[in-house]
Amino acid sequence: MTIHLSIVLFLPLAAGLVGAALGARLVRWVVLAGTVLVLAYALVILVDFDAGSAGLQYVTDDEWISELGIRYELGVDGLNLFMIVLTAVAWVPCTLVACFREHERPRLFFFNVALAETAVLGAFMAQDLALFIVFFDLMLVPFYFLIGGWGQGDRVRATTKFVIYTLAGSLLMLAGAVALGVLSTPDGGQISFSLAELEQRSVSEGTQQWIVLLFALAFFVKAPLFPLHGWVPDTYRSTPIVVLALLSGVLSKVGVYGFLRIVLPVMPEGSQHWQELFIIVAVFSILYGSVLAFSQDNVRLVVAYSSIAQLGFIVLGIFALDDKGAQGAVFQMLNHGLVVVPLFLIIGVIALRANGSESVARLGGMAFRAPVLAALFLLVTFATLAMPGSANFVGELLVLFGAFEDKLVYGLVASVGVVLAGVYMIRVFQRTMHNREGPPVESRDVGGLDLAAIAPLVAVIVALGVYPHFVVERTEAATVQKIEQARAFGGEQEARAPGGQRTSLPPPGDEP
Amino acid sequence: MILPLADVPAPEIDYRELSPIMATVGGSIVVLMVGLLRSPFARRTLVPALTAVTLLAAIGLTIWIWEPGDREPIIVRALAMDTLTLGVSILFFVSGLVTIVLSLRSDAPREAGHGEYYSLLLGTITGMVVLAGAENLITLFVGLELLSIPLYVLCATELRRRTSLESGLKYLIIGSVGSATLLYGLALIYGAAGSTQFSGIETAIGERVGLSDPLLLTGIALAATGLAFKASVAPFHQWTPDVYQGAPTPITAFMAVATKAAAFAVFLRLFDSTLGLSQLQWAPALAALATATIVIGNVGAIAQRSLKRLLAWSGVAQAGYLLAGVVVASELGLRATAFYLAVYLLMNAAAFAVVVARERVSEHGDDLASLELLGRTQPWLAWPMTIAMLSLAGFPATAGFIGKFYLIDASVAGDYTWLGIVIVVGSVVSLVYYLRVVAVMWMGRYEVELPGLPRRRVKPVAGWSPEADARAQPEVAAVAIVFAAATIAFGLAPDPLFDAARDVGTALSNLR
Amino acid sequence: MDVVWFLVLSAFIFCIGAAGVIVRRDPLVILLCLELMLNGGNLALIAFARMHGGEAGQIFALIVMVIAACEVTIGLGMIVAMYRNRLRIDVDEMSELRG
Repeated sequence: MTIHLSIVLFLPLAAGLVGAALGARLVRWVVLAGTVLVLAYALVILVDFDAGSAGLQYVTDDEWISELGIRYELGVDGLNLFMIVLTAVAWVPCTLVACFREHERPRLFFFNVALAETAVLGAFMAQDLALFIVFFDLMLVPFYFLIGGWGQGDRVRATTKFVIYTLAGSLLMLAGAVALGVLSTPDGGQISFSLAELEQRSVSEGTQQWIVLLFALAFFVKAPLFPLHGWVPDTYRSTPIVVLALLSGVLSKVGVYGFLRIVLPVMPEGSQHWQELFIIVAVFSILYGSVLAFSQDNVRLVVAYSSIAQLGFIVLGIFALDDKGAQGAVFQMLNHGLVVVPLFLIIGVIALRANGSESVARLGGMAFRAPVLAALFLLVTFATLAMPGSANFVGELLVLFGAFEDKLVYGLVASVGVVLAGVYMIRVFQRTMHNREGPPVESRDVGGLDLAAIAPLVAVIVALGVYPHFVVERTEAATVQKIEQARAFGGEQEARAPGGQRTSLPPPGDEP
Repeated sequence: MILPLADVPAPEIDYRELSPIMATVGGSIVVLMVGLLRSPFARRTLVPALTAVTLLAAIGLTIWIWEPGDREPIIVRALAMDTLTLGVSILFFVSGLVTIVLSLRSDAPREAGHGEYYSLLLGTITGMVVLAGAENLITLFVGLELLSIPLYVLCATELRRRTSLESGLKYLIIGSVGSATLLYGLALIYGAAGSTQFSGIETAIGERVGLSDPLLLTGIALAATGLAFKASVAPFHQWTPDVYQGAPTPITAFMAVATKAAAFAVFLRLFDSTLGLSQLQWAPALAALATATIVIGNVGAIAQRSLKRLLAWSGVAQAGYLLAGVVVASELGLRATAFYLAVYLLMNAAAFAVVVARERVSEHGDDLASLELLGRTQPWLAWPMTIAMLSLAGFPATAGFIGKFYLIDASVAGDYTWLGIVIVVGSVVSLVYYLRVVAVMWMGRYEVELPGLPRRRVKPVAGWSPEADARAQPEVAAVAIVFAAATIAFGLAPDPLFDAARDVGTALSNLR
Repeated sequence: MDVVWFLVLSAFIFCIGAAGVIVRRDPLVILLCLELMLNGGNLALIAFARMHGGEAGQIFALIVMVIAACEVTIGLGMIVAMYRNRLRIDVDEMSELRG
């Protein structure tokens, strides 16, 4: 079966344009239809995907800007298959919920929602470094307007901060990418940004080191990870809830995905050089995110900081440079997206019943008259805190196994995060659903519409918990290949790694 | 005919290659004469129409004589009508056309006299072409003054407005200081090299004159200073915001684009080609200037409320980006600079058209407040402004992104990677003020309710009146829309511009 | 005479002009000082023309004189226009536009 990725990619944008042209009444339905079609197409890809192969499938490869060596190259493999599916899955319920809320200037709102889906899909599909950056930056435009135009509170400041933070990272990445392209061009050769081509070419280790650092900056801001998360609180507070579900559930994955897709295979020596640093950043994010999540009053911010911790886990899995860890990371990227989207939709539902309040202290007692809502929330909560039996449990376990393999101390420290996750998620659940009813709370069960949006997502979470192998077998080949590439240079390095690393940078727990 | 004709050896002139200049000079005279006619029709309609016809003819002639490669200079080797000259000439002609359209309802031509106004415009364009094509020091100086003197007058054409006269006088004084400095530098270069001919200077350097000959280096430094005044490169930029703000806005638009393009054409020809051998001597200094310009321009723009001043400061910063293409003194740098100049025309024409349109109807003049809520009231103006701002900031899917990509590419390839990073950092800072403009248009005093919360709606404050809306200026809006559309179009399919830039790149044959 | 003397003199004239532009307030005097700067350049050009031989430098100097005259004319015209609008012609008073 021939599958054209370009159709999937530009379908939402086309729907957005057509919808905007048709007028304020129709635009939401057109955009919704677009997202549903994308989901259908993504499921076709999922069924048709050849699980055994590590290479790219459904490749589209055309010239775009020949002068700069930028190609329009798309492809799917085990790494991005589930990211594309996640994007398609996440957009449908969020658009559905948005359709039944009133928005000022609906044409602009839904056009931006559609444009955002195209940009995110593009970033996941791109197999050309420059194309990836184009979509990576393009994502900011719709989210800038969505947060600034339809957000709450100090939204203009928040959206400006968000864009500046993210673009600061990604423009530095652009400089790094151009440098990588130019410096890796052999004498007399044609400059190329195609990832496959870049993997063949090489640049010196010193150059790789600073370029990797620029890329990491961009991805850490996007993710976000511990020292670069400054935009998170303001943005999470101001963003409309459906947009926030997308921002937190899907967008944050683009950054960590970039590590696996670009940094590890293209710049293996550079990645190995900074491995220790990145793991430390990841571990710090896990601890910092977990601790702060515990002390937040705003439900959104609890989820925000728990996301920082979760993304810390993912980065830990990637930079353990171990097959199991990376597989866990890829799996966890999917899982986290799948739990965060319903989580935010549920928060939206709760806020509707609490007169807009999202403060943990003022909520409570909803479970009495809203058993379905409580049940859904409970399932999602269990998935988030990685209850055994959930897919997240499998993912986190794989990550930790990967870390124990080589970086035992960091793995042990990271496991503390798993415990903390249980504490703060249970706290939120209890405070909102049980206890005494808070003053603004009006307890009523989830409506049919919200149920239609949330329930399928919860069903997917449960299904993955039952049968995680479905994902793992499809991602395995590609993930292992990328990790092998990153470790290919470690032949002699691995031999001297334990001793050499300990002398240069002792892990914090090793001291006594 | 009694006197026997003396045998004067007349220089041979290639009238075919001279034709664009002849067109503008002839047009200038005709327009001046027609402007003397009494009938209002002739003055108000015929004069601008004739000017436009002249410029269109000049564009046609330019395309007619367009021929890539290193062209032999014409008129005793004084003027090179090569693709570099012709390429930037097209930019002058197009920005001249934009100025005509923007001037149609402006006070300036009425107060100064239509004939004079448009004749001076054609005169300054002629000067730009001569300057860009100068192949010898005398031509360079003549071209520069032919450019500057009419422009001084044009700045002062709103005779009854104090700021306009002030800006004209200020520009005259500072411009003349720049010219005098340039002249002194040219005199020293002539003294060191013993020739006014660029080719003569080029051969003298390294043979008769040492690369670090103090006379030559002082000359180069003074010449660079003089040109820096024209190109508004820091620290010789202080006049820019004042003059830009005081001049009639159509003239500001013209100055922002065309003067800069002319100055950079000279920079490229004089430094990269003629003084190319001593690149190691001047390039670090010029790179330092570029850095200072980027920093000062971007920081200066942050505090501005007036749109014209904001665009002036942003123009300073953009001059810094452009300078990076000169510093590397390579063919790639030449192409990138030419490309960015073209892109710069597109973005600025759109932005200034919107400023002109708003300035005439809004009580706030060119203050940022004049754009408030434009996205709701006049989206056909808000979209072009948004696109122009995003493009100036370097967002993908706009021509500005490709232009910056190209410049960074050239910097890295020319061993000035750090300059590429400076460009990127400057772009990040520039987001603060570009995004502010966008935010004012779309998110201004605009309260959006949170879903579920009671609607809070603040009525937009009336900054305009029905009469003003009736005075919508279709031709100005058309300019904005056309150039914004071109910005997007060339951002998605930049190949035509790349082809032209590649042709321009062949003009100076002795580059790396 | 050595060409250096001419150069030193021309540099002096140029610097006097530059200093005048910076220090003085009256636009008329500033215009005069601009003339000085240009003439400093002219002197250097003529000195070099004598040194190298050939007519290029002298032609250059002649053209510069013409251009300088144009510049001054425009400047005077603007000053007259401002005067007619009863504006103060003291550059420090030009407060409407301030960097």
